[in-house]
Amino acid sequence: MTAAESKTVHTVLGPVPADELGVVSVHEALLSVVPGAQYAFDITMDRVEIFETIAAKLKDFRDHGGKTIVDSTGMFHGRDVKLYEALSRSTGVHIVASTGMGPEEMLGGYFLTPQTNPPTPWPAEKFADLFTKEVTEGMVVPRVERRGAAGLVATAADRAGMTPTEESLFRGAARTALSTGVPVSLRYGNDAVHDLAFVLDEQLPADRVVVGDLDRKDALAAGAPLAIATRGAFVALDHVGLENDAHASDKERAALVAELVKAGHGDRILLSSNAIGVAKGQPDGDMGRTGRHLQYSYILTTFVPLLTEQGLSDEDVARILVDNPRDLLSVR
Amino acid sequence: MSRVNTVLGPIPAEELGYVAIHEHIGYGMPGCELDTNWWKTPEQRYEETVPKLRKFHEYGGGTFVDVTGICNGRDVDYYKSLSAKTGVNIIACTGFVGGDTALPFFARASVEYLAEHFIHEITVGIGDTGSRAGVIKVGVSRGGRMTELDKRIYRAAARAALATGVPILTHLAIDAENSIAIFKEEGLPLHRVLFGHADDGVNAEKTRDRWIAEQGGRVGFDTFGYETELEDPPFWARPRKQRLDHFLGFLEAGYLEQALAGVDANCSPLGWPGVKGHTLNYLFEDLIPDLREAGVDEATITKLFVESPAEFLTIQN
Repeated sequence: MTAAESKTVHTVLGPVPADELGVVSVHEALLSVVPGAQYAFDITMDRVEIFETIAAKLKDFRDHGGKTIVDSTGMFHGRDVKLYEALSRSTGVHIVASTGMGPEEMLGGYFLTPQTNPPTPWPAEKFADLFTKEVTEGMVVPRVERRGAAGLVATAADRAGMTPTEESLFRGAARTALSTGVPVSLRYGNDAVHDLAFVLDEQLPADRVVVGDLDRKDALAAGAPLAIATRGAFVALDHVGLENDAHASDKERAALVAELVKAGHGDRILLSSNAIGVAKGQPDGDMGRTGRHLQYSYILTTFVPLLTEQGLSDEDVARILVDNPRDLLSVR
Repeated sequence: MSRVNTVLGPIPAEELGYVAIHEHIGYGMPGCELDTNWWKTPEQRYEETVPKLRKFHEYGGGTFVDVTGICNGRDVDYYKSLSAKTGVNIIACTGFVGGDTALPFFARASVEYLAEHFIHEITVGIGDTGSRAGVIKVGVSRGGRMTELDKRIYRAAARAALATGVPILTHLAIDAENSIAIFKEEGLPLHRVLFGHADDGVNAEKTRDRWIAEQGGRVGFDTFGYETELEDPPFWARPRKQRLDHFLGFLEAGYLEQALAGVDANCSPLGWPGVKGHTLNYLFEDLIPDLREAGVDEATITKLFVESPAEFLTIQN
């Protein structure tokens, strides 16, 4: 029995032995609501329709061999823990939900312009406390109750470059990871290595971090995937199925995976599609443009054959889809 | 026909009675709902709120204008139950306390979309509550100057006020040159705007209250009771006499027609501890007695708390 096999992962239905996770998609969204959209006069939140739409996508994922979905949208972007519990019970797919927030643009004024004079934004320690309680005491249903433990802390930096509040978010997320044993999932701003340094500076071991967005064209141009893997953090190529001005093609992704495996970093690679089950409040047409309408099963049905073409063995593929996410998500 | 939207439906302005013009059932910054430090059970919230409203009603209070913006904990179903059980009319708002309290979905929205949203909440209803907003809230973000987003919200509010006939209340009256320029560009008569918090301790000095009145705007002395004499005064507190003298001076200068007064109460605060010793009923227990003691006659008091609010709140179309 390996160390990982004796460990558990926080799912919305409680702790699950890590070796039961199976094929995992680490960067997905179930219900994604741009903060504020829940109040918009022209947006409806039909709970039955939302449930049925996401359940169908989870069943499709399951029918293609998927077993675990990670909702990495954090605590303030539509997360609905009770809905996720029902979805997991009904479909049999494990659901790992996240705490955390970011980028700064997505935060509420409570964190940015508090009712103090001057209105100083929250420091790392307060974010750490907020996120930690979501693991140790449970995720909040706002002003009602706490439910199960968050399985990871997700945060992100601004594409134009990390802001001071985002530095606090990253440091706070790292402190929560250190004190609770869950991993940190971060989406970098404009410099992946620079942004990762803030969580490492908090003494968080690199193998407790996954850096997302590394299949952006600017990441590839900067050699960021290899640089991140070299530092020991997980590399998430998490827009599989999407090709546009900002993102590489699947062909380039597959070549990158082969390159990283060849360089000895096969144990650092994670794949995901950043697909959204149901989105509310996204700008018109954004779903199509960003490829987020994809099925969660896209990697299994369409991308894995590209990896095989690149010469990856079944063991390589299993390591990326099963072992690596298991190691990341296992609570230490 | 005079008409005002309350959370329990439109009523004639003649029924408003004494009005608390700029108040909150419960206010918190967006996101505070995630922090269990501030959570209260429904039992606590009713316990903190119902006795204050009942007392307000017993003192002769008729109407409570709640200016808690869209993302600040505005909770219309809760207001409906409070109004129905205490007999106090509650008017809810559409709009935002300031750009820094508008969540990303609205912060990214165009003037046209924001105006459409406000108009919907005024003419059709807020969410699925069936209640229509009776006023529009706008405000200046922290920092003392209007941000680009603040300006977008002011412009949308002006259009919605013109389209529906409901008035606008502002959080802060600083940087009024910019806000008045927007209202003028949109063609909104300034007597449809109450420029609020002209009297608070942080902003009074920077607020051109008489200039606003000369332009035709209404001026809100609506943070009464936030005094340095309190046990633990907030940063916007001000000596009691100084605020009262400020207000009396404004009235004596001939601006009674454009003056309104309130206390900016937080019956049961949502994302902060609130201010100990300050309640809605400062209005009847302290402010009105202080005005009488200073020689203000009954006709003026009726004007300030009954007639001017009714005129301002009446839907004008």
